[in-house]
Amino acid sequence: MKRNALVFATLLIAILAMLAAGKYLTRARKHGTITLVGDVRGVHAPDFELASLDGKRVRLSDYRGKAVLLNFWATWCSPCKVEMPWFVDLQKKYGNDGLVILGVAMDDSEAPKIAQFTSELGVNYPVLLGTDKVSEQYGNVQFLPTTFYIDREGRIVGKDTGLLGRGEIEENIQKALASRVAGVNKANTFAAAPTPAKAQTSAQ
Amino acid sequence: MRSAFLLLPLVFLVSVLTFAQEPGTRVPTVTMAPVGKVQLRAGGSATVELDFRVGSEFHVNSNKPHSELLIPTALHLTGIEPVKIAAVNYPAGQDVSFPFAPTEKLSVYSGDFTITAVVKASAKAANGTYPVSGELRFQACDRSACYPPRSIPVKFDVTVLNR
Repeated sequence: MKRNALVFATLLIAILAMLAAGKYLTRARKHGTITLVGDVRGVHAPDFELASLDGKRVRLSDYRGKAVLLNFWATWCSPCKVEMPWFVDLQKKYGNDGLVILGVAMDDSEAPKIAQFTSELGVNYPVLLGTDKVSEQYGNVQFLPTTFYIDREGRIVGKDTGLLGRGEIEENIQKALASRVAGVNKANTFAAAPTPAKAQTSAQ
Repeated sequence: MRSAFLLLPLVFLVSVLTFAQEPGTRVPTVTMAPVGKVQLRAGGSATVELDFRVGSEFHVNSNKPHSELLIPTALHLTGIEPVKIAAVNYPAGQDVSFPFAPTEKLSVYSGDFTITAVVKASAKAANGTYPVSGELRFQACDRSACYPPRSIPVKFDVTVLNR
């Protein structure tokens, strides 16, 4: 009787673990793209190329050797608006130490409207136009603001969802800045986005 | 047998940890209550009350948010001839301040709210039941974050009775 109960409990735990793994893999392999889900600390930040508000093409890997704060936001997101003046200050405070703040606007609005918004807030860091693809790469960003903190070696050291206090944001920035660069010039420290063919293979 | 009872809390804990949603994965819900019978005579009109409920802890912008950057809640309906939508009337929003912007008031709907639609039948409308369909578009937030705009389908039937 005792043994049966133990077997039953073990089986139940195993089934739950398998269900969780299935759920993880289904989400991670959606559209054949490996996406960030669950605890992302220590994972290499997926590289991307996005258009900036001034029409340039910007890749995350352009900032290798820098600590990057990657902030997903939108003009219709009131909590996002609260953080932006903090980011302006923090960019000034930590810019010389190697911090780069990148805003990713997940708006349907046209670039000039977004530019007007960021100009009114005095935004002093690059703002990129978000796409569904980059949202998927970063775990289907649905909740705004969502912020990733990426260290100098391209690893994610923290993720915030929703508005937190300025103190918590600054602590995460300091963590991202704390890492030292090793062999940055030898290789791209950011994870390359999988090509469609590769992604298809990995999803099979 | 005692071991089984000791293991139960462990199983419960594993279940909770497995299926607990990480912050930012809760999806805001807006649901619509079933619409009662809508009847009118040819050439006549009727006001239809459409009752919506916003999921707890969320709010959506009202139809007239205080900033043009915010996405208003909007109902788009289409009737089939001989039924037309003559007007859609929105309730006033509640002016509320949230912890993320204590000095700013946002005009929002939370909990239950009702939008009314005025439907009209043309003078030559034949007896019958005609579907009205469309969608409610909204953009929801909670106390610390916002979700992208979503839509839910809205459907009801209008019956034209001349006798």
